[in-house]
Amino acid sequence: MRESTIMKIHYGTALAAIALVAVHILMRLTQGFAESLEYESVLANYRFIPYAAMLELILILLAVHGFNGLRVILLELKQGRTYEKAVSYGCLVAMIALIAYGSRTIIMTNMGMV
Amino acid sequence: MTRDEHKEGIKGMINPSRYGIERFAYWLMRLTGLGLLAYFIGHIYETSNILRGQVGWNEFLELTQTTEGHAILAIVIAMCVFHTVNGIRVMLGHGGIGVGKPSRPDYPYDPASQNYRHKIGIYSAIVLAAIAMMYGLAVMFGE
Repeated sequence: MRESTIMKIHYGTALAAIALVAVHILMRLTQGFAESLEYESVLANYRFIPYAAMLELILILLAVHGFNGLRVILLELKQGRTYEKAVSYGCLVAMIALIAYGSRTIIMTNMGMV
Repeated sequence: MTRDEHKEGIKGMINPSRYGIERFAYWLMRLTGLGLLAYFIGHIYETSNILRGQVGWNEFLELTQTTEGHAILAIVIAMCVFHTVNGIRVMLGHGGIGVGKPSRPDYPYDPASQNYRHKIGIYSAIVLAAIAMMYGLAVMFGE
């Protein structure tokens, strides 16, 4: 993929994440901070499908943005064909692993498997 | 003087008095990005404890809902706000907004892109990050 396309994705995921993370944080402030973290409250959040879908979207957006940012930083430090491929594929694998792990939590909790 | 004597390493590179606030913002952007990625991975692991049931969730909350945990979260809030505000500034700059018009380079070669608009953007990001951190501390410790 062209670097210019990757940067557009980087900026797009950032802008989308700003809006969704703001909603996620505001949800913590609708109740008291400590109450919002109570087990029943968190479970209710996960079982509310629109909110769970938003969490999944935040997970994907931030994982893509975060690991691409890490890739950019690592490519600024050192260059070379093998190194660049290793960094790019390493970040891609880490991103997929994190999305899979986070999705597991969201899906299992949403489906009442807790 | 040998070549090595000129080298100050990372300390020299991030020194805002030498290369300006733009270089400092460049480093802060990367540091906050790495910090936020580390927090994000930790947060994904933290929230996965819900699968351990109420006891497991409460056990993990006891670890994170401490004075140290709140202090770390306040730093995360500051990093998040700085990264967001400075990121918007960088995006606008990449889009050609606020970087000035192209002109003939004349001595003392002041880059048009490093102008007061972007400096204000960087200082605003730092101030807003500090305000958000204070607000976060008030919310977390105010209960």
